[in-house]
Amino acid sequence: MSSVIMEPRKNLVCLGAGFMSGLVAAEVARDSHNYSVVAITKGPWWDYVSDFSTTKYDEWGVGLGRKYDSPLPVQSTTIRNSPTQFALPVRRYTMPIQYHALGHGVGGAAQHYGGTMGRQGPWGYKQQSLSDAAYPGKLAQIQPNNDLQDWPLDYAGYEPYYHKWELVYGLCGTNNGSPTDTSSDMNYPWMDPSYGSKYPMPPHPLTPVATQFRDACLATSPPQGAKFTSYHPFPHVSSLASQPYTNVPYGVPVNPCVYDGYCGGNCNYACETGAKANAAYRTIPAAMATGNFKLVTNAYIFRLVWDATSHTVTEAHYYDAQGNVHIQQGDVFFNGMWGYNMIRIMLLSGVGVPYQYNSGLGTGTGSVGRGLTNGYAPYTGTAASGTLNIGANSYSAGNASGGSVDIYDLMDDNFDHTNLNFIGGAQIGMGGYAGGGPGNITLAGNVSPSNTGVGGTFKAKQKDKYLPTTTNVGATPFAPDIPTYDHYVDLDPHYTDIYGDPLSRLTYDWTANMYNGATYLATIVAQILTKMGASNVKVGATPAQVHNDWWGHHLRGGCRIGKDPTSSVFNSWNQHWLSGAPGPNIGSNYFAAGEITNTAGDTVPSGTHVAGPQSWRAAEGIRQYLQTPGLLTP
Amino acid sequence: MPVLKIPRKAQRIVAPFVESRVPGPEEFVVLSEPLLNATLKLARLLKGCKSKWALSGDAGELVSGVSIPADHLSILTTAEGCEEISYRLVENVVQPPRIVERKLDREAKIGKEPYPVQMKSHEARFRIEGQRLHVYGGLQIRIGDWEWGDPLEYEPEYVYVGSEKLPVVPLRLKTELYIGLGWMDRVKKINEAMVRRHHGPGFGG
Repeated sequence: MSSVIMEPRKNLVCLGAGFMSGLVAAEVARDSHNYSVVAITKGPWWDYVSDFSTTKYDEWGVGLGRKYDSPLPVQSTTIRNSPTQFALPVRRYTMPIQYHALGHGVGGAAQHYGGTMGRQGPWGYKQQSLSDAAYPGKLAQIQPNNDLQDWPLDYAGYEPYYHKWELVYGLCGTNNGSPTDTSSDMNYPWMDPSYGSKYPMPPHPLTPVATQFRDACLATSPPQGAKFTSYHPFPHVSSLASQPYTNVPYGVPVNPCVYDGYCGGNCNYACETGAKANAAYRTIPAAMATGNFKLVTNAYIFRLVWDATSHTVTEAHYYDAQGNVHIQQGDVFFNGMWGYNMIRIMLLSGVGVPYQYNSGLGTGTGSVGRGLTNGYAPYTGTAASGTLNIGANSYSAGNASGGSVDIYDLMDDNFDHTNLNFIGGAQIGMGGYAGGGPGNITLAGNVSPSNTGVGGTFKAKQKDKYLPTTTNVGATPFAPDIPTYDHYVDLDPHYTDIYGDPLSRLTYDWTANMYNGATYLATIVAQILTKMGASNVKVGATPAQVHNDWWGHHLRGGCRIGKDPTSSVFNSWNQHWLSGAPGPNIGSNYFAAGEITNTAGDTVPSGTHVAGPQSWRAAEGIRQYLQTPGLLTP
Repeated sequence: MPVLKIPRKAQRIVAPFVESRVPGPEEFVVLSEPLLNATLKLARLLKGCKSKWALSGDAGELVSGVSIPADHLSILTTAEGCEEISYRLVENVVQPPRIVERKLDREAKIGKEPYPVQMKSHEARFRIEGQRLHVYGGLQIRIGDWEWGDPLEYEPEYVYVGSEKLPVVPLRLKTELYIGLGWMDRVKKINEAMVRRHHGPGFGG
């Protein structure tokens, strides 16, 4: 018999138990005030030995069945390219149409991600004001309906939080290519040398292709209009532990990567040694060790209770696996749910002011759901490519994000954009491990009878897939996705989850800035490929009319932090503004952080890395709020 | 859109879920913050130390992934290393180096018989960031009335504690030592860590 259960009140209630919630839970549970904390997640606790070590090599179950991912029959989303279309639901996880690979359970999507990281540079935080100052009128020219905003803090404001967050999750790398590593460097994510080492662990070993790319960058002249005198290649930043590690300040021991190859690729395998940095093996143990923390698994949060008088969230309601309703009261609520789920629960619960797009005006009002962008490259886009005469072994070895070299020189405002039709640029990297992840089932990995024929041709293609004698190199150098008024998240009027509540609806398509940037930058990348000794170097142009069919899992924006309560949901402490709410702006007890709270960005590979410092700042804000409730001041 | 009505009734829905056992707090062994700070300080103070040294004891195992609580730091080094470390940590000395022979609290168990265990080393004691640090140089062990063993020899492995690269006594040496002493509970602990680190059987498995 199902029933309604009232849970003991907690000081802090974390919605979700992933990257952001884990950090906030640990920081607050470790506070000297002995705050009580609970984290509620809809999936299970994953033990990387018993759950992954023998069952993760199941390509079919992991790659197509997505057996470790959020079950779509319980809850999905609907998607469309424009407000005039009828959105359709995502019914299964497959490439290339749908590639969500949403996380499930403690650790969230980071249980199976590639671990690719990289800080966002100073330009990314002031994209709107710096672009307007340097190139007046350009933004409106490129994207007339742009809804771009600056972040509430600049890079220097987030830099200390980056450093702390990287020590907790254990990142590998050397630097971010900054020539000076000082605050005078506006176009690279500099790293304050007063913190000692840069990233705590050394990078993963480089591949021959990566070293060739690095050498070619150093030997290639910068493009016309560049503000740098030579390229600054550096090893790719990764959150897959390259060494045995103990994190700081929690003292949680971490196993290193064993380079078994079943890591990335289209399957995105979970890690059987816990080397993929995620909350379950970095922050939740620290929270647990305090004795102040409770973890609730297999619990589906379906509503928050908003008290319009006190402007606070008072309860979270969730179903357990047996269908019982649990009511969790708390002093402060932190929402660390992934992406659109964060927006959906707010819309379902009346927290904040929903974004309303006005197609007649081409603008909109409200903030919850506003400013959706995508942090991923267009699946089909303008690209530079070539072939290197370097063989490889694609049998499983290596990992998803190590071994490569990046440059940040072609992004942000590192070159003059006066006569260009885009702002920003692209992060370029090459040389990841060839065997980092078996493809999404051999037959779907571009080697199938349908495109090779059968018999000897098929066998030759199979052999060439695993022991190639040449290596394809290239990049799709898209520029930043600019938030626009007609890209947003709202509730779908037709489709519901298993419990009968509306699904979220995503309205999104590629933006002109991305394509324009790729068209220009691909020719510059082609020069580097030529310097690498690549043959058959070419630039393949894709018409801008191609629509988005890649609903990536790196959705950014949609629930933004900002300076203006009418157009952003959270302030610089990631505290809910109460934008548009009646009465004075007193500050709510509701906080949130995640990629979806990123205001805007450059093209660094990881929105998660950019969101991380927000979670640390939110934790600081929550501790302040628990002492003195009210609007936190910058 | 107006707020959707909150259903307070339980739902008769059969949703797929993965069964899950959430580990208890006692299953998460972490290096305490005071010991962590002392470890970081120690790594900085001994940077450039010419003698071979490595973090040992429970703390050494803990940072190598063994689920064993630690209440102080230990270093295993040579007799000369004990002198050099004492020189480098001169401001932290509690007990200067001297040859110390002592009986361990725990006995060895060979077959079914218990035997007293003695250890002899150049020993010095320090206090780093308020935490105890014991340094053992040229450590030798004797079980019962057998002859003294040779000074323990090892090639250190390395772990990162935060940004600090730190030498640790290899778990293989610790395993051999524990097997010799019959401390199979400690062998089991290390074996469990090896299984978790290498996703397969540990030593001897």
